Amino acid sequence: MVIESAPDFETQDLLINVGPQHPSTHGVFRMILEVDGEIVKDLIPHIGYLHRGAEKLCENNDFRQGVGYMDRTEYLASHNAELSYVMAVEALAELEVPERAQWIRMILCELNRLSSHFMFLGAFGVDVGVFGTPFIYAWREREALIDLFEEISGDRMMYAYFRAGGLAWEVPGNFEERVREVLVSTRQGMKDFDNLLTRNEIFLARTKNVGIISAEDAIELGMSGPTLRASGVPLDIRKSEPYMYYDQIDFEVPIGTNGDVFDRYLVRLKEMEQSVSIIEQCLERLNDGPIMPERMPRMLRLPEGQEVYIRTEAPRGEYGIYLVSKGGNKPWRLKVRSACLSNLQALRKMSVGQYVADAIIILGSIDIVLSEVDR
Amino acid sequence: MNNGIYGIEIAWLDAVIRLHIIVGLMTVVVMGLIYVERKVLARFQQRLGPTRTGPAGLLQSVADGLKLVGKEDLRPRNADPWTFELAPYMVFIPVFLGFVIVPFAFGMQVRILELGLIYFVATSSLGIIGWVMAGWGSDNRYAMIGGMRAAAQGISYELPLVLSLISVAMVSQSFNLNDIVLSQSTYPNLLWQPLVLVIFIIAGLAELNRTPFDIPVGESEVVGGPFVEYSGIRWSFFFLAEYAALFIMGLIFAAVFMGGWAWPLGEELGRGWQILLVTVKTSLFIFLIFWIRASVPRLRIDQLMAFSWKILLPLTFVQVLINGAVLVYDAPLWILTITGLVGIVVLVRLIERAVRPSPAVNSEFVSVGNEGAS
Amino acid sequence: MRGIVKSLATTMSTFIRGPVTRGYPSKHRELPERDRAFPLLLWDKDIDEPFCTGCHACERACPVECMTVIMKDNPNHESQDGTSKRRKIVDEFWIDYGRCMRCNICVEVCNFEAIAMNNTWSGHETSVYDRADLVMDLPQLMAQSKSDEIQEWVAD
Repeated sequence: MVIESAPDFETQDLLINVGPQHPSTHGVFRMILEVDGEIVKDLIPHIGYLHRGAEKLCENNDFRQGVGYMDRTEYLASHNAELSYVMAVEALAELEVPERAQWIRMILCELNRLSSHFMFLGAFGVDVGVFGTPFIYAWREREALIDLFEEISGDRMMYAYFRAGGLAWEVPGNFEERVREVLVSTRQGMKDFDNLLTRNEIFLARTKNVGIISAEDAIELGMSGPTLRASGVPLDIRKSEPYMYYDQIDFEVPIGTNGDVFDRYLVRLKEMEQSVSIIEQCLERLNDGPIMPERMPRMLRLPEGQEVYIRTEAPRGEYGIYLVSKGGNKPWRLKVRSACLSNLQALRKMSVGQYVADAIIILGSIDIVLSEVDR
Repeated sequence: MNNGIYGIEIAWLDAVIRLHIIVGLMTVVVMGLIYVERKVLARFQQRLGPTRTGPAGLLQSVADGLKLVGKEDLRPRNADPWTFELAPYMVFIPVFLGFVIVPFAFGMQVRILELGLIYFVATSSLGIIGWVMAGWGSDNRYAMIGGMRAAAQGISYELPLVLSLISVAMVSQSFNLNDIVLSQSTYPNLLWQPLVLVIFIIAGLAELNRTPFDIPVGESEVVGGPFVEYSGIRWSFFFLAEYAALFIMGLIFAAVFMGGWAWPLGEELGRGWQILLVTVKTSLFIFLIFWIRASVPRLRIDQLMAFSWKILLPLTFVQVLINGAVLVYDAPLWILTITGLVGIVVLVRLIERAVRPSPAVNSEFVSVGNEGAS
Repeated sequence: MRGIVKSLATTMSTFIRGPVTRGYPSKHRELPERDRAFPLLLWDKDIDEPFCTGCHACERACPVECMTVIMKDNPNHESQDGTSKRRKIVDEFWIDYGRCMRCNICVEVCNFEAIAMNNTWSGHETSVYDRADLVMDLPQLMAQSKSDEIQEWVAD
């Protein structure tokens, strides 16, 4: 009545800068939100705050030194990062990895998937607004896992444990008991998270139907990993192009239906349960044997002019390494296909039209690790 | 009606002495509450909380206070001088005013007012003005948004809070807090009004700006809250006001719902037992608030408002009507208990419907088995 | 509401479980044998000289180029009526702990098992006030091995 005759209001969209330092611990990431009232109209992400030139540095390092750099491109799931790299080198050098080393690699990669997903659950809980409880639960479980890693490789986060051809050194004698011990406490931690968050009505109200991305959009934007599977696309590299011995292991791949934030959370939670089952199956099949092939040259030299692209299922998606060799012990070009960077492209599409408070949750649900986005 | 304290019969001197006692008690209790909150939250999260400042970290609040006092007193250049300066006081003073009517034990309150409960509701509403003043006076668009949100939340949840207190007053047939406490010597009011208890807790959380309703203070996720431009001792006023409000809400809860100092055996056993009762009941309420903070995520502002207006308020109205019907027709009071419990079930159902589709997790989830490649 | 009650029950159960804090730095937990802090040089107790011959193998293998090695003729060699079989011995050795990325490659390439990663707490508690103090020279690198405080682990 009165509103039609009133002149048009001159409103201006607010520009909110969610700066490089913000309380949600995702790393140094900056996004500029253009906001009309409460609704996000546009989102401009700025990355590159953590760029360290890892790919270029690897051109000057041989294939044993490069493993340390690959660790640091994805510090939460270092074993998976190292895995792609050493698989690429092995493919070019035509090395045959002994069976025991493969099984141990699988166990370590799945354990790392567990610890990475715990980190996601912790940070996500803080984003949603629970004061700190999920974070501490996550850290309690990660502590057990990281202690195990320290006993094996010596370091809590940057393992540098995989080598082209197998492993750097043998695992300690009580490896199997320690892994089973850690799995017991991990199960308890997952149950705690499940009870704390999954059926909580407020959590559901915050995360259901928020940040939806359809399957077609997700495939077009090149997403991968749990964020893709939450939209309903049944793609898991461990099933579609099995590497190591994943085709001998029995496990399921959880798929979401809606593609919203809740599905991404639940897909990761269920993936963790599957990882536990994979680890147990691998422990049963673990046998004795060497961990490096018999004839290993002292300095690994690759044939000239070869290139390979190897992809593996890292906890965040498809982590690929593209290696071009120039005949020598250093690569000509090493390119990291980062899962987080591709997933981050969908952030704008997911957030436009949502509330401002949801933009943070959507960012948290993609589960980015800035060192992988920026390298 | 009001006995002089220490036998002093001069009214104004008596009131001044009581007020001083209240002020002293408040300050100590608030600092203690800050420490207790940190320890209790830490224990929920399986960690230790403050341990280093003083024995078992007891001097942590003192250390925080010293730090805040030592900070530079910043003021934005274009901040409106009157609103900016006065906002902390406008938030803090109404809470102090609320202490006038709270009964700690028989004969231990500042004044017995005939309309004590109404007085409490009136003063607690004044605090909202302080938030808006803080937001507007800061000359910062994010602060203003935060202040407006806080005001909207405060006003929306004021209604269920007031109506729930009125329901209890109807059952106790008085607004005088002393009379309400005395009327509960045999049965505490929460037996007759279980639904109102739940609504009071929820509305109280919202009035205190506590999780899950702490959007104004948790706003620092994206933008600063209304206190973004305050520093040092001015900011600590808001902080202390929050804990003082928590304390007073606990005391009102103890008095109105659980029988204050009178139940179970208050009148016979004397002052010490009465104070113990009040302490225990207030601590229960405060512990519950901390427990909720450690467990529950935060609601978004639109969900918050919808919850108050669409779910809480109608239920409170219905409860008041039923109270009225039962009291007018002199029906036995256990009818209220039954309707209250039915009301809780209705509330639970309404909440679950609001977050539809309900999380039937297994049926929504499809797992790809070993059929192989996709 | 039931989900919220479940969350409350979960936090209450952790309340009862008690803190999991370890209490660092009042308590130091036991480090595993393979723990990898920063590299240290080893001291040969039988002949009273370092194992290191200054052969530059670790210096070349280091990905971040954090070491500088200078070798000299060993005055203690048998040819000069000494007790040692090492012709050359390390003269100066600097490791910049600020650059080291603790990748363990120097330990792997060493032919004389002269360098090992510190697996005691002192390797993890190396904070200094000036970055230049992080460049460790030969006496500092050998101090722990000389005083028998190190329990090194070198992979077979």
